[in-house]
Amino acid sequence: MPQTIYVSPRSLGAFDERPPAVVTADLARLFAGSPALAGVSLRVDAGATVALLGPNGAGKTTLLRLLATVIRPSYGTARVDGLDIGREPELVRARVAYLSHATGLYDDLTARENLAFAAEMLATPDARHRVTRALEDVGLAGRADDRVRGFSAGMRRRLALGRILLGSASLVLLDEPYAALDADGMALVDQLLTAWRDAGVTVLLTSHAPERLAVTIDGSVVLDRGVVAETRGNGVAELPSALDVPSATPARQVVS
Amino acid sequence: MALAIARKDALAELRGRHATVSTLFFAAIVLLLFGFALGPDSARLAAAAPGLLWLAIVFAGILAVSRLHLLETDDEALEQLALYPVARRAIYAGKALGGLAVMLVLGLLVLGAVGVLFAVDIGGALLPLLLTVILGAIGIAAVGTFYAGVTVRLRAREVMLPLLMLPVLAPLLLGAVKATTAALTGDPFGELASWLQLLVAFDVIMVAAGAATYGYLLED
Amino acid sequence: MKTRILGFVAAAAIAAMAIVSLFVVPADLNQGDAQRVMYPHVASAWLGYLSFGVTAVAGILWVWKRDLRFDAVALAGAEIGVMFTAFAIWGGMMWGRPVWGVFWQWEDPRLTTTALLLALYVGYLLFRRLTDDPARRATRAAIVGIVAAVDIPIVHFSVEWWRGLHQGATIGSPSRMLNPAAPMVFVGTLLGMLAAFTLAWVYLMIRRYQLARVQMAREEAVRLERLAAARAVAPRASTPAPRTPESTEAAR
Repeated sequence: MPQTIYVSPRSLGAFDERPPAVVTADLARLFAGSPALAGVSLRVDAGATVALLGPNGAGKTTLLRLLATVIRPSYGTARVDGLDIGREPELVRARVAYLSHATGLYDDLTARENLAFAAEMLATPDARHRVTRALEDVGLAGRADDRVRGFSAGMRRRLALGRILLGSASLVLLDEPYAALDADGMALVDQLLTAWRDAGVTVLLTSHAPERLAVTIDGSVVLDRGVVAETRGNGVAELPSALDVPSATPARQVVS
Repeated sequence: MALAIARKDALAELRGRHATVSTLFFAAIVLLLFGFALGPDSARLAAAAPGLLWLAIVFAGILAVSRLHLLETDDEALEQLALYPVARRAIYAGKALGGLAVMLVLGLLVLGAVGVLFAVDIGGALLPLLLTVILGAIGIAAVGTFYAGVTVRLRAREVMLPLLMLPVLAPLLLGAVKATTAALTGDPFGELASWLQLLVAFDVIMVAAGAATYGYLLED
Repeated sequence: MKTRILGFVAAAAIAAMAIVSLFVVPADLNQGDAQRVMYPHVASAWLGYLSFGVTAVAGILWVWKRDLRFDAVALAGAEIGVMFTAFAIWGGMMWGRPVWGVFWQWEDPRLTTTALLLALYVGYLLFRRLTDDPARRATRAAIVGIVAAVDIPIVHFSVEWWRGLHQGATIGSPSRMLNPAAPMVFVGTLLGMLAAFTLAWVYLMIRRYQLARVQMAREEAVRLERLAAARAVAPRASTPAPRTPESTEAAR
């Protein structure tokens, strides 16, 4: 495994000069009438690596998906690098990379072809070289020309991480990055987190294994049943919410 | 961008053979059943041939476009596709191009099959027939790709796709059948050109409508 | 209150026009009394098209302004439109039986176009039921509605062409009545019926819209209640003070 992973250079500016990477205000989302996220108001500092913790159903995945603009909020707002996720989702997408439970890979294409397609979509400069480099960085160079259909879950996740390396995101959202990975795979994630931190990229990740994270993260947020239960460490803080005032009505993206 | 998506679909299609082969077989079976249902009088079948041709193409076309979008359910690939900084129009164009390729192959093969099965002289009117098939394929691909995108994540998608798509395709069906009939009978009323114009207008309008609205399907 | 008055006026207008069309206006020379069905039939068809135009435009406005009231208008338009269109088709068939001898005639462009219109909008309504989230449902419905509306003119022209290139107009075509050379008494009755039906249409649209708004408000109240309940139940280590202007400043 190579020692240094290639993360796209991006002029991000000095840490303390940058505005917060993420600011949410009473962000809420319901599915089929029941709240997955019931009003979250957070600030995540630029360049920080923050863990989202909490039991199943706490809303961690929903929060990541909202920030990635995969889904729209039911109530509340959020800003990524100052851009509103509801009003300017395309601009947000250009700055965010998201790893979800599903990898979005095409079974019938090879690893290399999947990444090459992603590179075209992302308009990655020097695509061929970057694809090869990404495959090496995630340890799949040997299987580059095999179809993804035969890959194990761990290999797919590595490939998905490789895809993130092709972009130039300033905010990386990882949903359970350690899941389905063997020891080498987990070491890869640690290396990636280090590389991203060095490059000043903000990382927000969820995990069921907080012990693993102690070394690599700046702070953490614990969610429970759709709200913030507590925050610890640096880089993340809970913001006051307007929702706990009696007779408050949350801001809507949609007028009704 | 659109070409990249179409290329990706073509590659996946060639490897996985999701859409093309089963759709072709389905079209063949439909034609056989038509023969059973309306035969054995060959004169009657020959007269009905244009209608049967296009019905077979449309029904098989529904399957083809739905399977092309099914490709994107590979591990939530559609979600990932929506996250790239690519114009929505380009995604639509890419998928529609893929659909068009399949529809062209389908259309030409079904045309040949109809010629053989229902004793219709295709060679005599080859150029207008080819033109009709091409224009029809474009229309079905445009409309079908759009509605496949609309229904791909719905609960009742197998029934909703044809339910929504077929009424919209009615004018295309009409135009294509009339053009085919005109071509095969030597165009006694001089109406071939008009019907082809209708097909062109349909194609242009539907491609524009699909490209403009497809993006909104990808938001959630 | 004003709506209720409108309702009464519309009902009265329809009753009046019904009497006129049934008893006052003379019967058509060729078609006899069957032709009287044409008055409500044409009026209904016209309002069916209008309704779906409203649905399409409301869909566009939703996507543009993101105001759910437009979606309520779209829903009202589609349902009322289906009603009027179905009635128009039924009227056409009732007319067709005595005049043509059959219930359906493929050579009549309007009947075919109207049937397709019905199919498109029944599909729209069924499609709406498959999504729960109000904003998502509104967007998807808007798109389907727009494409359906775009299709209608194409259908109309293609069917006109179909009839035109065929062997001329058949005897007893409904369009005879819209011929400017037709006697004034027929045209006048038709316009009167149209006006009466339009009043009824406006009334029904308003009522359906109000109903949709009530339903939306109720759904919204349930969602907000569930949201508040979730916040009340969840354990919090410390609740930051509710947001006031001073504390927003302090939070940078």
